[in-house]
Amino acid sequence: MASNGSSRQLSNVQIQDPSDEEDSEMEVTERMNIRTRNKFVRGKKLGEGTYAIVYLGHDTSTTPPTPVAIKKIKLAPTSEGLSMDAIREVKYLRELHHPNIISLLSIYAHNSNLSLVLEFLPGGDLELLMKDQSLTYSTADIKSWMGMAIRGLAWCHRHFVLHRDIKPNNLLLAADGVLKLGDFGLARSFADPMRVMTNKVITLWYRPPELLYGARFYSGAVDVWSLGTVFAELILRTPLLPGQSDLGQLSLIAKALGAPSERNWPGVSALPDWVPPTEGGPEQGMDFFVGMFASVGVEGAELVRGMLRLDPKKRVTAEEALRHKWFQVEPRATHPSRLPRKEGGEEKVGRDLGRGWEEDERVRGVGRRLDFGGAL
Amino acid sequence: MAANWWVSTQRKHWLFTKEKLADIRASLDAVDAKSVAQFPLPEKRLLNIYFNTQMIRLGKRMSIRQQALATAQIYLKRFYTKVPIRDTNPYLVLATCVYLACKIEECPQHIRVLAGEARTFWPEYITGEISKLAECEFHIISEMNSYLIVHHPYRTLQELTPMLGLTSDESSTAWCVINDSYLTDLPLLHAPHVIALTAIFLAVVLKPTQGQGLGASAAGTPPGQGGGQASANVAAATQALGSGVPGNGRINKLTEWYAESGVDIEALVDCTQEIISLYEVWDGFSEKACKEQLGRMIKQRGLC
Repeated sequence: MASNGSSRQLSNVQIQDPSDEEDSEMEVTERMNIRTRNKFVRGKKLGEGTYAIVYLGHDTSTTPPTPVAIKKIKLAPTSEGLSMDAIREVKYLRELHHPNIISLLSIYAHNSNLSLVLEFLPGGDLELLMKDQSLTYSTADIKSWMGMAIRGLAWCHRHFVLHRDIKPNNLLLAADGVLKLGDFGLARSFADPMRVMTNKVITLWYRPPELLYGARFYSGAVDVWSLGTVFAELILRTPLLPGQSDLGQLSLIAKALGAPSERNWPGVSALPDWVPPTEGGPEQGMDFFVGMFASVGVEGAELVRGMLRLDPKKRVTAEEALRHKWFQVEPRATHPSRLPRKEGGEEKVGRDLGRGWEEDERVRGVGRRLDFGGAL
Repeated sequence: MAANWWVSTQRKHWLFTKEKLADIRASLDAVDAKSVAQFPLPEKRLLNIYFNTQMIRLGKRMSIRQQALATAQIYLKRFYTKVPIRDTNPYLVLATCVYLACKIEECPQHIRVLAGEARTFWPEYITGEISKLAECEFHIISEMNSYLIVHHPYRTLQELTPMLGLTSDESSTAWCVINDSYLTDLPLLHAPHVIALTAIFLAVVLKPTQGQGLGASAAGTPPGQGGGQASANVAAATQALGSGVPGNGRINKLTEWYAESGVDIEALVDCTQEIISLYEVWDGFSEKACKEQLGRMIKQRGLC
């Protein structure tokens, strides 16, 4: 923006002299910004990442004031502008509205800072919940969490959005027990079927085999796999496939679920990073799943299997998973308000919302960084 | 594309009636009437042609996808419904729109590279300082209220091409007409599918061989002569569209399909007229005039 007469300078003039703020549309924006900013009162800092600081806040337009999380995006003057994470989060959360997706309540700009007002989700996340040994939960509870997660995911896919980072600590819990997909910093649209996308997404343990083999064209099936591994983890209460490297992850998959081959996955050997597996037998059938995931019954085991098919084309879609018969058989899913919960508290919110903004290369693919090598 | 048009923020927040858009612009002009009088600028569409040409140059040089350039053009339009153009350095704004659109369309460019290219093209107006681009990006996002997803007519065209049995000539002409729609206010006034249907209609009515220069923006040149006959065809066909009077076979079939599809025929007629009138004003386009008037404004107001 020009140093003289830039919109910001104009708006400064307007702030100093509110008497003539009537005419300009631009000032309307600024006034809206001020109104929005005044509506949300920022409280204490909950957490901080490389790109964002998360504060506890309150929406003062309600009585009593509703708690919110305010994520203030830091802008370094020498940077590439707004980071891709922030851009994606804003881009998708502005358009997606669903009870099982974290809501972006408002956005306001002030002093070259962008603040996202997000709903406050003090219930922690599924990772924390599973780790808490003092806490027990039932199959009906798992059904409830899975149902909500699948609904949120199906909504994304119906709107051509891939989440690309489904894992237990991105499945957040509201005060009333409702589960919400969070962290859209890696999300992207898959409406153009012919565009290549990076395979460096999704935290390793939850990454599907097609991405490990370097697929650059993929679909909602990647998220379904991730959610399938979360499902298995909820049942087993330990990560299903805790690999240490890309190859290690592939070998874990082969040993646990079967070795990918042209027989069970036509076309797999043509993927860019294909290496013939040296371990594992044929793809596991129903017997294996029923044995391993006995606690959720035959139908439940069938859904786990459907979500964890090696060949992405054979995997159930989120939409199909939603209609799976497991959700119709007993036991019925627990009502969210009666789900076991852990007091995550404020600190947890800071961690949940701030985390994605740190460059945690250990657990996270390089997709967080700008990939200039080609289209993402 | 993400989400769908009917529930999109584009439909909810960035679609105007003609009157509303005129009001908005009039009130922007009224803020600083003196500058408006002191620094006359070319007619909006001519200016759009100029900005578009500049964006295409930048885009070609950096091999930027067309969809990103289309999104950039929408950002430019949205931004200038909020901020008076005479308060900005349009070259910086358009370079930044391209930069931001590339991020949104998932084909990000290095800020340094883009700033450098912009500087090569417009050395008098772009210093190449990346902090200015980053700052401007923030303003654009902020003025657009962070509504970043843009739906384009190209998708509808791709979907309808087989369904309507369009020839590849017709389809590519329609594609070019869509490109041209970005030079008008249509993207702020009508749904993308309405614009796509208009483009298809024009492509079928004006066979590329007759219409010659139809959809010429990609080349940056005005449509060729011989538009008289073309306009007459359009007038007749538009009438047929509006009244349901049968035209010749192919056009007849198309108008029937349109009538049955339930698309807003009035909107279609309006779009058709906008496009035709764009081709009429195009003759008056002078890159030099745009460049000079903008240059004078930027220099004398000290905007760069």
